[in-house]
Amino acid sequence: MSGKAKSAERGLRQSMAWIHNWLGLLAGWIVFAMFLTGTASYFRPEITRWMQPELRLEPVSPRHAAETAVAHMQRTSPDDRQWYIYLPDDRTAETRIFAMPRPDPEAAPAKRGSEIKLDPATGAPISARETRGGEHFYRFHFQLQLPHPWGRWLAGLCAIFMLAAIISGVITHKRIFVDFFTLRWSKGQRSWLDAHNVTAVLALPFHAMISYTGLITLFVMYMPWPVAANYPKPTAFYAEAYGTEPDGEASGRPAPLTPIGPLVDAASHEWRGGQPRAIVIRNPNDAAATVTILRSVADRLNARGDSITYSGATGRKMSQSPPPGTALTTAGVMLGLHMGNFAGPALRWTYFLLGLTGTTMVGTGLLLWTAKRRKPGAKPFFGFCLVERLNIGAIACLPAGMAAYLLANRLIPADLTGRQDMEVAAMFWTWFGLAGLMLLRPVRRAWIEALGLSALAFAALPLVNMATTDRGPVASLLSGDWLFLSFDAAFLASAALLGFGAWRASRAKAAPGPRRRADAGRAATAVHAAREVADAA
Amino acid sequence: MTSRNFLPSFLLLRRNWRMAARCITALAGGYAAAAGLASLGARLLPIARVEATLWGMILSFLIFASLGLWAFHERRLLKVAGWIWGSALLSIGALLLIGPRP
Repeated sequence: MSGKAKSAERGLRQSMAWIHNWLGLLAGWIVFAMFLTGTASYFRPEITRWMQPELRLEPVSPRHAAETAVAHMQRTSPDDRQWYIYLPDDRTAETRIFAMPRPDPEAAPAKRGSEIKLDPATGAPISARETRGGEHFYRFHFQLQLPHPWGRWLAGLCAIFMLAAIISGVITHKRIFVDFFTLRWSKGQRSWLDAHNVTAVLALPFHAMISYTGLITLFVMYMPWPVAANYPKPTAFYAEAYGTEPDGEASGRPAPLTPIGPLVDAASHEWRGGQPRAIVIRNPNDAAATVTILRSVADRLNARGDSITYSGATGRKMSQSPPPGTALTTAGVMLGLHMGNFAGPALRWTYFLLGLTGTTMVGTGLLLWTAKRRKPGAKPFFGFCLVERLNIGAIACLPAGMAAYLLANRLIPADLTGRQDMEVAAMFWTWFGLAGLMLLRPVRRAWIEALGLSALAFAALPLVNMATTDRGPVASLLSGDWLFLSFDAAFLASAALLGFGAWRASRAKAAPGPRRRADAGRAATAVHAAREVADAA
Repeated sequence: MTSRNFLPSFLLLRRNWRMAARCITALAGGYAAAAGLASLGARLLPIARVEATLWGMILSFLIFASLGLWAFHERRLLKVAGWIWGSALLSIGALLLIGPRP
């Protein structure tokens, strides 16, 4: 390589290292929380099942579940405008329904009714403790508990920072292959850099995939402009891309709704055995009724399922989703890769572990920032203290908050109304409360205590579960209940991991010798900057 | 510099103003340019409009990320602002001129 090309390359790696630092610093804490809650969301239905321990539903066929759900809705709300039915599958035991009432011309536009859970075998509403279950982690992951649409925008901004951080991180690193095998313990800054590189490089394809596909999950919201360039109205785009029917008006002539069972079978037959996932019935018991059956995506990579629409009065097939083109398939597969709904148990656990790797990558990156700038004996500047405290709040206190959410589920009386909001409040009060409390402690103690408390909270979960339900580890083992056993094991593993972190923090030596700050352009001589890059590579 | 007594010192550094302009160019300008270029591509690609639209949406994020990174790599702020804001204005202007697909 000629000298000129070399210096150009060094210039690029330097600028990328600089922007990588800033991107990571600005988005790091939110991205950390998004990674951790998103990782938990790979077990969204399972978490919901764990949070309703009184439910023990027997699996039934989708056809039977559809029939009992429609019978229930005919009894309770035959004149609604729309019925939504989410059918049970291998991972979700219950049928979920909600209805949209006919808009009252006098009143405001109809809101969607609240969701009701049914026993798929009988169609009777199930009585279990109110909880948001795994849905809470899932929603927080991309809405950050902020009002719509701000949470989604903030999550999107952090996602594009993440994507840019990954690209710039890859450019900064020259020795990707060597980093794979380099992990030095107890060397202060060096160790954090190694840990950051190992976790980043180890799962680089996953990290790159997850940040890019995460943006794709909400791309209609983040990037609506190509739609505007090609369509007079967005609805025309949805109809063409996803085959969504415009909401037809009722004719006003009553007509009995055709039996749902044969339609479910017909759809499954058209999909060569593909299972139905959800049913949308518009204007039930009207001559203009339609029944749309959506295909399950649990058996395929593309998360955009097909749908078929039948006439609700005659049962005749009216339309079906168009065969997707290349771009639509690409977008659907990207969505599927992000959500992992196609994954069986082994791949799902792999996803979960890769998610934890990503969480570690972000966390070690944040810790590296402070390790690099710590000057023993010198008074730290304000920004340094801020970053250090936010690191403690995000990395050491969020796990305690997540454990508190699960603990609250077991400790708040099961029949209390409004308890699901208390569970959510328990997470945030614990998380932010602990972070605030730790401001009163010296940094080193704060790390040890916050990590220790998080570990204790996770260790308490199996015990509290055993004390408050009849589904403790012994009972689960005897009845072969692998779901609850896995949860107990995962809680203990989390406790062990956090406990290990607390123990390491207690043994941490004072940071190694003083270092110059790389971002102070005034002080950084060319030699020094070159050494920084050599360190980062 | 009598104003030094009334203004926080960071407002007086030209370097900080330039960095702020660079950040706004990368974030807002980068988004506008990515949206404009992706939409123009979606509008002009001679394939089915659904497909063209989706390719534009899928690729726009890569364009945004690349432009944002380049905005901090290129030393000359004028060049950064010119290219990013220029391509945003030109692509969005072209889109407004030709209008949506018939």
